[in-house]
Amino acid sequence: MLPATRGGRVELIISLGVLALGGFATIVAFRLPEAGGYARIGPNFTPKMVSAGLILLGLWLLAEVVSGGWRERVPDDPAERGEHGFHLGAFAWVSAGLFAQMALIQSAGFVFAAMALYGCVARGFGSARPARDLGIGLALGVAVFLFFVKFLNVNLPAGWLKPILGTAGL
Amino acid sequence: MTETLSALLSGFGVALQPLNLLWGFIGVTLGTAIGVLPGVGPALTVAMLLPLTVKLDPTGALIMFAGIYYGAMYGGSTTTILLNTPGESASIATALEGNKMAKRGRAGPALATSAIGSFVAGTIATILLTLLAPVVVEIALKFGPAEYFALMVFAFVTVAAVLGSSTVRGLTMLFLGVLLGLVGIDDQTGQMRFAFGVPELMDGIDVVVLAVGLFAVGEALYVAAYQSRQPEELEKMSGSLWMSREDWQRSWPAWLRATAIGFPFGTIPAGGAEIPTFLSYALEKKLTKHPEEFGNGAIEGVAGPEAANNASSAGVLVPLLTLGIPTSATAAILLAAFQNYGIQPGPLLFQTQAALVWGLIASMYIGNVLLLILNLPLIGMWVKVLMIPRPLLYAGILVFATLGAYSLHQSVVDLATLYVFGLLGFMTRRWGFPVAPAVIGLILGPLAESQFRRALAISQGDPSVFFTHPIAGALLLLTALLVVVPWIYKMIRERRARSAG
Repeated sequence: MLPATRGGRVELIISLGVLALGGFATIVAFRLPEAGGYARIGPNFTPKMVSAGLILLGLWLLAEVVSGGWRERVPDDPAERGEHGFHLGAFAWVSAGLFAQMALIQSAGFVFAAMALYGCVARGFGSARPARDLGIGLALGVAVFLFFVKFLNVNLPAGWLKPILGTAGL
Repeated sequence: MTETLSALLSGFGVALQPLNLLWGFIGVTLGTAIGVLPGVGPALTVAMLLPLTVKLDPTGALIMFAGIYYGAMYGGSTTTILLNTPGESASIATALEGNKMAKRGRAGPALATSAIGSFVAGTIATILLTLLAPVVVEIALKFGPAEYFALMVFAFVTVAAVLGSSTVRGLTMLFLGVLLGLVGIDDQTGQMRFAFGVPELMDGIDVVVLAVGLFAVGEALYVAAYQSRQPEELEKMSGSLWMSREDWQRSWPAWLRATAIGFPFGTIPAGGAEIPTFLSYALEKKLTKHPEEFGNGAIEGVAGPEAANNASSAGVLVPLLTLGIPTSATAAILLAAFQNYGIQPGPLLFQTQAALVWGLIASMYIGNVLLLILNLPLIGMWVKVLMIPRPLLYAGILVFATLGAYSLHQSVVDLATLYVFGLLGFMTRRWGFPVAPAVIGLILGPLAESQFRRALAISQGDPSVFFTHPIAGALLLLTALLVVVPWIYKMIRERRARSAG
């Protein structure tokens, strides 16, 4: 009895994913050395137990899928959850912001990475004023940088702003 | 008793030092300011701010964290009452009545009863913590590795399997957390596990990255995808803050009853504040003289759950400080904060680091007073935070969240890991997996493993130690019963239903 609904298919995929993770972890665990010592069990014992547990849980999830779906599940219909349907653009913009930050933080520095992140995330949440958002992001980035680097001694990369902010950040 | 009192007094000596007082004040302020943001619960607040205290001395940093922990809860209740988006499960009960009160123009008294109730419950619970901690320490000093291991298994199973809607999904998250906890160097043999030669993985996966990924990035992705195109509903902060005579009369018994429920629940591994808040809500609903108001904004329904929430979060500190066992996601992150300073909470902490631990407890008394002062007159300022439009708010949350994760090792790999955990957080929320077991598994898993191996090393590899030691055996038996009994009960009921139908 394979699931007919889209939600049911995702349940199937997640269950198989847990099973696969357990299988992969088992392979890694069996390659670890024994090295027992007094305890007679070594660094490979817990990994084996945990991988076995994941395999069992994957099978348990699968058993629920084929016997009518996961128990006590979250409703598939967004309206039932009081939400709207999946908004791909929003999801993509938030993701893009995080990737932009990863790309920029080492070279351009924390401030510009924060500005890019801020602008993208605000856009993702439906803001229609990119210039304002980037401005706020820049101001927030500078304020956070100064507070954390100068006051709390946390290291953050100054990047392009090194001539202005000094080398305190690196 | 006198010993406890003198220890507490010297604790006040530590906590009242100007610099520590300042850290406490910064902690409660930051905690309230960030906790008030919708979708940001205490666990995330502590995780986000944890990497930023690396340069402080341990006492100051931990005092700041205690402040953040309490402040985040006070802030969270404001959001719940005015916005009806409970940031965490422990606030759902408050949302039931609090938001209704706000809708009827009684936001002021709702916020007041929750702030004063939190103060009353927090203070009583801290007194109970002060009295109980030395007693538990006495008992815990007799525990060996086998007892600790049994206790940790008990905590694992209650948090993952007994609480929450689905045993299998809770356990899956727990095992995932424990697996992530295995990544890196094995303490006892130096063996590298699950690191695949990636240098960043050799130190292990930081609980900050996991918690911030699940709670902040996952939350932002989820809200963006499923809620960002919905109109926001913010209740106006209307009505005077002052509670009427009747409000007081209806509130204070609820505060006291809720404290009596909340504190014990906090001390046992029962997943933090969720159960006691609902129990308190149900009790108040039963005892009230105004049953018609329940569902339309009854003040007892706010006073009780909020007090229970605070009392249980002080209770959570009993097993955390005396046994080193975190029983909620927030406590797990606090444990990580201790570990960052090379401090392992447990009974020995009270002997070797008495100034630190009693200073921390004393700072909670002070923190509660500071929070009452911060929250009553300044409530208007926190409400303004809520008026920031959602796009700007979430963008800001992510800037702070990624800042915390990045500053751990100045590494882009941590940001990439953060995104992966964000996707995991998105999935767990959409498909109904609880996240607390993963966070607790990550931090408690390695500790449980090392106790397990130490117990076996002492017994020369004989696994019977876990059953022949009475306390360890009893705990493991209790754990097994907790899992098996509800299952058998359900099987019998289903069979009966089938034969009857």
